[in-house]
Amino acid sequence: MGDYKKMWQDPNMDIEKHDILCAALPEQFGDIYLTQKNRPDAMNYFNYVVAEIHGARIMELEKYKKEGGSVVGTFCVFVPDEVILATKAIGVGLCSGSQFWIEDGEKVLPRNICPLVKAFAGAKIGLTCPYFQSCDMIVGETTCDAKKKAWEIMDEYMPVHVMELPQMKREKNIKEWEDEIKIFINRMEELTGNKVTVESLKKGIDVCNRKRRALKRLYDLRKNIPSPISGLDALLVSQVAFSDDPERFIEKTEELCDELEERVKELKPNGKKRIMVTGTPMALPNWKLHSIVEGLNAEIVVEETCTGTRYFENEVSTEGDTIDELVRNMAERYMDINCACFTPNEGRTEDIVKYAEEYNIDGVIYYNLSFCHTYAIEYEKIEKVLKEKDIPLLKIETDYSEEDTGQIKTRVEAFLEMI
Amino acid sequence: MAKHYILFPNYSQGLKLESLLKQKDIKYVISPTPRQLSSSCGISIMYNKEDENAIKNIIIGSSVKINGFFTID
Repeated sequence: MGDYKKMWQDPNMDIEKHDILCAALPEQFGDIYLTQKNRPDAMNYFNYVVAEIHGARIMELEKYKKEGGSVVGTFCVFVPDEVILATKAIGVGLCSGSQFWIEDGEKVLPRNICPLVKAFAGAKIGLTCPYFQSCDMIVGETTCDAKKKAWEIMDEYMPVHVMELPQMKREKNIKEWEDEIKIFINRMEELTGNKVTVESLKKGIDVCNRKRRALKRLYDLRKNIPSPISGLDALLVSQVAFSDDPERFIEKTEELCDELEERVKELKPNGKKRIMVTGTPMALPNWKLHSIVEGLNAEIVVEETCTGTRYFENEVSTEGDTIDELVRNMAERYMDINCACFTPNEGRTEDIVKYAEEYNIDGVIYYNLSFCHTYAIEYEKIEKVLKEKDIPLLKIETDYSEEDTGQIKTRVEAFLEMI
Repeated sequence: MAKHYILFPNYSQGLKLESLLKQKDIKYVISPTPRQLSSSCGISIMYNKEDENAIKNIIIGSSVKINGFFTID
């Protein structure tokens, strides 16, 4: 532990208010994570990241900035980290998964929008997130109406760059995304003073691909019956992936996978129901659904979400000798992500059906953050296909508050009994 | 059930001890520091009571700085 109050004063924080958040973390993390039995030893690294989430990592960012480096904040799996790395900047996925920030968010945003958007706005305007305070710029995108309009409000508080994500997947849309990546490259070059070269971009692509591969390895291990790691722990690894130093993250995740590979040899089936979660992202420290489900006789073995498979599936090809070719490769990879913002979005249904088989799923929980319309509407399509395939499905629409925890538990319990 | 913690002046001291515990094959869990023990944020190390003397010996023979051993009932 360290006394970080002085460091937090530098990036202009509301120390007193932020302390309420810090005070809640040890108990919340202790109750949900440290009470799990027989956790892998390698999870100690991820415990460390959470314990030091507003400490050691922020120190690294501040040090990097003092040396002349830049830090940019992101919120979405469509923002190409390759470009951020190629301009020698640090990218951090910003926390937006706590009820703590909702009240401040609602001061500038309507109440009836998704909690993730309200949380990130609240974290910034309430001055209670040191990551926001460390960022030289945040990078937004147009994946939903709430975010799209929230950037205008965020822009009053800090520099914002918005990438316009096309919402269809025709060739012309892929070209549009190529253009957006090029505009982003220019903006990052201006911000950092570092030129993107073929070499630096290839290096960025390589780091991101290795990170994707490490996560894919973790997920592949979860296909074992039983999974050698809880859904809670795997979710934490995915969440940490967004803000940790990429090389260190890859090393620690590979270490974890080495340990899990050994475990798999000893494990015997445990009779727990195998659950897939599909839907909206779970930003740190949103562990609500996982802790409810795994408190019962079930294990979550895959998340078809942005804090799951959508983050790591498919790699960017490094074939090509020009920036244009590499940008094309990136555009193709990113436009292959099956987010509900696209119309149509059949790829997502295909992914869910494929994962149900690959991970030997007993049932699917459709996790929908309140007021996230694209995912809520897409439920109809998914329900129809899963019914045809005879795969049980439960829809949970919720926010970050604890008010409905008991009710969700009852519904999940009934669902598990039924399957 | 009682829980036992080692607190540190900063995280790098905690990580130093962690690598020593790993070498000696002593089980531990890195944990956020409970508020009852300190209002500073950051890591502490949870250990099993039966390993306490062994850990104390490791610390004595090293350059690791700690704030102390604590127990919460």
